[in-house]
Amino acid sequence: MNRSPLYPPTRREFLKRCGMGLGALSLGGMLAQAESPLGIRASHFAPKARRVIHFFLNGGPSHVDTFDPKPALAKYAGQSLPSENLRTERKTGVAFPTPFQFQRYGRSGLEISELFARTAAHADDIAVIRSMHALVPNHEPSLMLMNCGDSVQARPSVGSWVLYGLGTENQNLPGFVAMCPGGMPIKDSENWQAGFLPGVFQGTFVDPQHREVEKLIENIRSPHATLSMQRRQLDLLRQLNADHERQRGSDPRLEARIESFELAFRMQLEATDAFDLRREPAHIREMYGDHVHGRQTLIARRLLERGVRFVQLWHGAGQPWDHHENIEASLRKNAGEIDGPIAALMTDLKQRGMFEDTLILWGGEFGRTPSVELGEGGKSKLGRDHNHYGFSVWLAGGGIQGGQAYGATDDFGFRAVEKKASVHDLHATMLHCLGFDHERLTYRHAGRDFRLTDVSGEVLRPLVS
Amino acid sequence: MRLRIHAHHAAFLSAVYFLLGLAGVANTATPAPTDPKSHWAFQPPGPVALPAVQNTNWPRTALDRFILARLEAVGAEPAPAADPRTLVRRMTLDMTGLPPTPEEVDRFVEDCRRARSIELSPPLLNRGQPLPESAISDLIERLLARPAYGERWGRHWLDIARYSDTKGYVYAREERRFVHSPTYRDWVIRAFNEDLPYDRFLLLQMAADQMADPDSPDLAAMGFLTGGRRFIGVTHDIIDDRIDVVTRGTMALTVQCARCHDHKYDPIPIQDYYSLYGVFHGCDDKLTPLSEINDAELAKRRQILDEAMSKHREEAAQRLRQRVGEYLTAQLELEKYPEEGFDQILSADDIIPASVRRWRDFLHTSASRDSVQSILGPWLAVAALSESEFAASGAATLASALRSPGIHPWILRAFTSAPPPKSMREVSERYGRIFTEAETQPETPETAVLRAFLRDPDSPTVVPETGIINNEAFFPTSVTESLWKLQGDVDRRLIELGVPAALIVADRQPGPNPRVFKRGSPSRLGESVPRQFLGILAGPERKPFEHGSGRLELARAIAHPNNPLTARVMVNRLWQHHFGVGLVRTASDFGLRAEPPTHPELLDWLALRFMSEGWSIKAMHRLILASAVYQQSSRPFSPAPAPPATARPDTIAHTTPLIQAKSRSPVRPPGPPAPYASFPVRRLDFEQLRDSMLFVSGELDPAVGGRSADLLDGGNRRRSVYGFVDRQFLPGVLRTFDFANPDIHVAVRYETTVPQQALYFLNGSFAAQRAKALAAATDSLAAPERIRRLYSLLFQRTPTERDVATGLRFLADVAADPPPAPPPVRETPWRYGTGEYDSTRHQLKSFVALPYFSGESWQGAANWPGGATGWAQLTAEGGHPGNTLAHGCIRRWVAPIDAVVRITGSLHHEPEPGDGVRAFIVSSRQGELKSANIHHAEVDMGLNDMSVKAGETIDFIVDIGGTLNSDQFKWAPKITSAEQAWDARKDFTGPKPEPTYLAPWEQYVQVLLLSNEFAFLD
Repeated sequence: MNRSPLYPPTRREFLKRCGMGLGALSLGGMLAQAESPLGIRASHFAPKARRVIHFFLNGGPSHVDTFDPKPALAKYAGQSLPSENLRTERKTGVAFPTPFQFQRYGRSGLEISELFARTAAHADDIAVIRSMHALVPNHEPSLMLMNCGDSVQARPSVGSWVLYGLGTENQNLPGFVAMCPGGMPIKDSENWQAGFLPGVFQGTFVDPQHREVEKLIENIRSPHATLSMQRRQLDLLRQLNADHERQRGSDPRLEARIESFELAFRMQLEATDAFDLRREPAHIREMYGDHVHGRQTLIARRLLERGVRFVQLWHGAGQPWDHHENIEASLRKNAGEIDGPIAALMTDLKQRGMFEDTLILWGGEFGRTPSVELGEGGKSKLGRDHNHYGFSVWLAGGGIQGGQAYGATDDFGFRAVEKKASVHDLHATMLHCLGFDHERLTYRHAGRDFRLTDVSGEVLRPLVS
Repeated sequence: MRLRIHAHHAAFLSAVYFLLGLAGVANTATPAPTDPKSHWAFQPPGPVALPAVQNTNWPRTALDRFILARLEAVGAEPAPAADPRTLVRRMTLDMTGLPPTPEEVDRFVEDCRRARSIELSPPLLNRGQPLPESAISDLIERLLARPAYGERWGRHWLDIARYSDTKGYVYAREERRFVHSPTYRDWVIRAFNEDLPYDRFLLLQMAADQMADPDSPDLAAMGFLTGGRRFIGVTHDIIDDRIDVVTRGTMALTVQCARCHDHKYDPIPIQDYYSLYGVFHGCDDKLTPLSEINDAELAKRRQILDEAMSKHREEAAQRLRQRVGEYLTAQLELEKYPEEGFDQILSADDIIPASVRRWRDFLHTSASRDSVQSILGPWLAVAALSESEFAASGAATLASALRSPGIHPWILRAFTSAPPPKSMREVSERYGRIFTEAETQPETPETAVLRAFLRDPDSPTVVPETGIINNEAFFPTSVTESLWKLQGDVDRRLIELGVPAALIVADRQPGPNPRVFKRGSPSRLGESVPRQFLGILAGPERKPFEHGSGRLELARAIAHPNNPLTARVMVNRLWQHHFGVGLVRTASDFGLRAEPPTHPELLDWLALRFMSEGWSIKAMHRLILASAVYQQSSRPFSPAPAPPATARPDTIAHTTPLIQAKSRSPVRPPGPPAPYASFPVRRLDFEQLRDSMLFVSGELDPAVGGRSADLLDGGNRRRSVYGFVDRQFLPGVLRTFDFANPDIHVAVRYETTVPQQALYFLNGSFAAQRAKALAAATDSLAAPERIRRLYSLLFQRTPTERDVATGLRFLADVAADPPPAPPPVRETPWRYGTGEYDSTRHQLKSFVALPYFSGESWQGAANWPGGATGWAQLTAEGGHPGNTLAHGCIRRWVAPIDAVVRITGSLHHEPEPGDGVRAFIVSSRQGELKSANIHHAEVDMGLNDMSVKAGETIDFIVDIGGTLNSDQFKWAPKITSAEQAWDARKDFTGPKPEPTYLAPWEQYVQVLLLSNEFAFLD
């Protein structure tokens, strides 16, 4: 049994089905190499990126304090903006200039605030999209839009789509991992849901606050058998199953289940290894930092290196970037927690030759207002409200032309005005880097062919050419 | 072209191997009709003639002729009949989700034998002869009579109904569990067990509020509508979910696709979507307990809720009465107000968008009422003018409107005693002043009319009395939160008490006709449409619904014998669960892009039969289970080798069609067998596997109905259908096993095979526990007999000699190679406890170990704060002292050796509130070594070199100091000697249980439970 089919013909059917969805893919070629729903599949065209890491700054990071400098705000400090404040979730008042210094970095001279000074060392690899916009100033629908391309309906997340499109390169690890220290973000596992796709495409949640591998991955170790005991049990199982199958004639579904036990056996070893940071040299551990954000970023690199397709790193449970009040101190703290790890990851990927084919996405579900948020009685809260009219995200790595800022918000950073980029555009661009035509990566459900970008989305060409 | 290819490949879901060849037979033959109206699914099922077949012996029921005719057409041969043990296992697992007991197997085999009236040895029973009808029909009746039947088949319906015990994502203020879901689940199970006619089953689920008595248990049926995700209260999305579950669930129509535009393929215009939207928009959700509750605590909580609700409703109404002018002005700029669901007001002073809309609807529907005309008539007359029209003729229009009979004198006066208003805004403002005055002036007949207007229950100046689930948008955030909290208190008590309750929808006063949301956006209102049924099904005679919201009329139109879809869709679902795949493979999409039926005539015949049998689901089961196609072996007919010549002749042989058929059969080319030429091998789904394991180990708790409980809780031994389904946190294990996604109506479950499934059974405690129980239950038997018993329990068969030998060899191997002694538990020098430190005598008075480890921290009980020590907690990084000085928390280090050590580390008390904590380092031999009082600061707690003796304890004590308030701290000391280091953070650990390895027989039983023979069904 040198090439036992791991998965049943239902799987083949499934892949033929994928073939339909993937359109231009060579059906035969795909069938030959991929029998598992997670097996490697080719994309529509040669991809620049083979894997994705998404830093999700949940809560809504302020763009005017990080990647979208607005000197005009300083001129109006303490005064009303000349144009009426746009309606956001709560009331906002006068212009609120950033308390942070911006500086030009790299040959490109990309302007980045001091909050991300270490990340800024890679400015020439970073493409900031400054003209992002979403639909509503509320967390829940915006999280869904950013992660799943739809504010309301249960739709597959970007990671699930990517896994569906490309499979994963390591069958012994989950292909899509979402990490969030300390618990779940708002909307919980809906953020990495598989929607109508099969459950195998859903993100696997890991709380990196745990240090023991048993707590990171369910059932990864047996409390009631040693590996050698288990090996003997599996040998018996294999024999019973072979006897069973012999009387029935070859059935790939039976074989798939037989093989799944062997895979499980191997997975126990591999997964333990991937999450064990003690295997990293001290200088690497130090570069990322021995705190939870450093650790989760380093785990992410180990996973990506081992063939995991999509890793999403959340900042923390709830919405740590939701800075309605006293934004200065909170921003300093939050950014301080991830600036180092992000910079370390970029350096590390470069030195391992993985940077060119790893797509990095940094961003939240929306940005924040340039005007100050008002509390009871119109008093300033020294914070910023949600702002879906204009905000920034950035991309780097696989297939991205760094050192540029794409699009622009108005003079104050309230609304995207120049080369406006929707979330669908962002998704289309990401899929492009991964070798997909976003209009042809589809899945038939409830009577129609669905895609991540619904009925719109344009690849942001200047970012990828 | 695309459609045709799709038809070949789409059935990947849990499509069954044996159907692979099917595509070429039927699917390509039916091109998509050009006229949607002529689509097969929209035609009524016509009377069907039974097809002619050559082999008239094979069919056992009329439906077999449809199958056989198709097989004969491609020159295929049906498989021999399954043997009795296989069939009783198949039927029992199919109908009840549980395997048969050995006694049930014996009984069925015996019944078959007896019915044969001749002696048949087991080999003969295996020879593929059809089994006696009487034995089979007795078995069918026994299975249908078991409560386990409803538990199995009810679960299939719960997949359709996207069943969940939670609301999905909610704000923390609200109870996230449903009160009513278990009652709905039990109602579904009972409906199946009692064979409630399917048409009534549907009617009750959509409109029990209008069909059943106000205290009828059938009200629970409405959980079908109300069990969906709550979408944090956004009405449009809740309604969308309901439209989907109704239209796809009952008619396999994807009406949801028409939310933003006309359906791309099916003849469902966007107007039809909003006609149904209007039906569901006209209702409020209402929780209705179904039995008397005498519970003082509940009564108390309800009273608190009711009082708070009345108070806040009145306060809000008071503000509404004061601000009529502003709400009238708002009608002129409706687009300024946020849409439903995103309109929570933050402050009580804000204009309430929900009231703006209530005014809008009121002006729309009630404008013609005299009581309204007499007051608002003039306003309505001028509001109809554009700005320029107002400038030109506003005054004249107003004057003419004021001349209408019955205009309230105050209105007359306001507009005649002052110069004519210059703008619409001014008109509204004058109205506002009239009402404000009416509220403040002493009561006269004139003010009474105005005041009554403001207090009419239908008035937009009243907050509807429909509970926080329906009226939350009328209150500012803080009030909404407090009311939800009180509602949560009531809900939690109801859940605690396990009171059966229905969440029904009740019709409101019908509002205006719904309007189309252009591109699905509620802020872009389009044309107004009547509440009515789908045009493609209602035909040219379509009439708007007449009663209330029209929901009962909608339900009747769905559950009507003339509806071409409803019966077809359900018989297809039943067929699918019996055979693994439906006659229409896209079981919840019968639209134009759906797969055409593989056996269209059979589908129609079944649908007509279903209705003529009074929509009896059990009648359909009887029919299908009695069929030859169902009773086939899973091993396809093979023409060679010829039966041994020594086969014992018997009287039945010549009536067995297979032997004659064989010679006729052309040799088929190699390849997958033709569809229905054998019974498809089925893999047990998660519930079947879990329940079967509990059943064979003798542990299954047969209790029926009631509260849902965590499926993965080791102590939960109830059937899986009673498991707690949490749509927001569905455990990874359930996802891994392709459990129905509780957010999406699931017509066909996926069937994937991934190593995580294997890990669950291999390493998780569930299968190991079952193995232990089953090994214990068979403990008294000698080895070979014990193996035989296990095989008959698990596989319903006698083990072969080889099976027994394999088992014995394994057991011998295990015995010869005992497991290694578990690795010695590394003795940790750290202890975690609480105690009282006497700071004047510098003595620790006590040390009591903290009893509970949460996985992250040592604490007093599973819930933190909890237990006698309250807030006391120690984590890797720090902790929290107990509630009083008697329960300071103590991290204790026991010196393992004599050594000279240094202590490093600082204590950090971060919070500003409170008065901080006290900290001490105390040695059992040397007394107090260091102390600190610290508040909102960090202090170094290091100690220089000192010698310790083996067994000496060093205690790191923190207590609350003065008061219990914000006393959490960080302090993870490190102790280093020349050779070694003990780091409180890195060494932090819970109790290390000794691994207990499975005993040899337990290992063996576990393997049997994991085997393919257990997990697959022939």
